[in-house]
Amino acid sequence: MSSNWVLTEDEAMELLALLITSARIQLEEPAHYGPLRLLTATERLSGMIVERASDSSREFLQGNIDTIPDMHMTMADREAYRARLDELCRAVAQCLLRSSSLEGVE
Amino acid sequence: MNGAALQNIRTRRVLREMTAEAVSREQIEAILEAARWAPSGGNLRPNRYIVIENAETRRLIRLVAPGMFQRAPLLILICTNWDVVAENMLPADDRSLLIDVGTAAQTMMLAAHALGLASGPVTSYSKEAVKVILNLPPAYSPEMFICIGHKAPAARPGMRAAKKITWRDLCHWERFPNH
Ligand SMILES: Cc1cc2nc3c(=O)[nH]c(=O)nc-3n(C[C@H](O)[C@H](O)[C@H](O)COP(=O)(O)O)c2cc1C
Repeated sequence: MSSNWVLTEDEAMELLALLITSARIQLEEPAHYGPLRLLTATERLSGMIVERASDSSREFLQGNIDTIPDMHMTMADREAYRARLDELCRAVAQCLLRSSSLEGVE
Repeated sequence: MNGAALQNIRTRRVLREMTAEAVSREQIEAILEAARWAPSGGNLRPNRYIVIENAETRRLIRLVAPGMFQRAPLLILICTNWDVVAENMLPADDRSLLIDVGTAAQTMMLAAHALGLASGPVTSYSKEAVKVILNLPPAYSPEMFICIGHKAPAARPGMRAAKKITWRDLCHWERFPNH
């Protein structure tokens, strides 16, 4: 567990603007754009915090989030897209586990 | 037959990665002049074009535009001027208004491509937030941004279509049989 501060107020506000405007425009956009916006937010958040994050979080961000822009391009291939998202979910769970008190518990 | 024009149409792609290099005033004016020659329903010309180069304005717009992946040095916002619509007693839901936005957008992107510039349209933004940031007059509605700049050296290709599309897939010749 880390209680590092990794976001500035400006960065947090930027992310907040992205989330609010995404919620609004989604009312008129195709359903599959929803996850795309969440990934865009993920990518921006990662870019904001990567330098200030702990070693373990930074390792996760650099190894996984950097590839998100390429995912936008492969959305048409449903299976590959689903598989990549599953991979990301596993990686984030492992990262959470590593920094939890459960780390090392059999 | 003008082969160069057809080649320009075929090779234009939406680009989402651009360098920070500014677009010259001459190039901007050439693109705006091209828009003036786009066809317009009833020749009413309800479009207005807002040119945005200021870095802080562009930064703020990008924050309320989730679909704007570009960090473009130049944004041209196509607006509908509703005063023109009212003066000409055009119904507010007349589709020619959006078609006008489309003809202008494509004409500007083709002009940009012919000038060796990269471009991409964006409609995924909050209209209300954009109105506030640009302090738009009440009669103007922000319909589409065109991002313009210089292509980044290692720009990724754009979104792939679910399957390859040829012009034949989109066309039908003559009358349809009974259905
Ligand atoms: C009405 C319209 C709205 C669009 N909005 C966006 C947008 O908000 N963001 C974006 O990145 N691309 C946007 N595009 C670009 C399309 O995704 C792009 O034209 C399409 O993927 C085909 O790519 P191509 O023009 O390079 O062949 C838009 C295109 C049109 C015609």
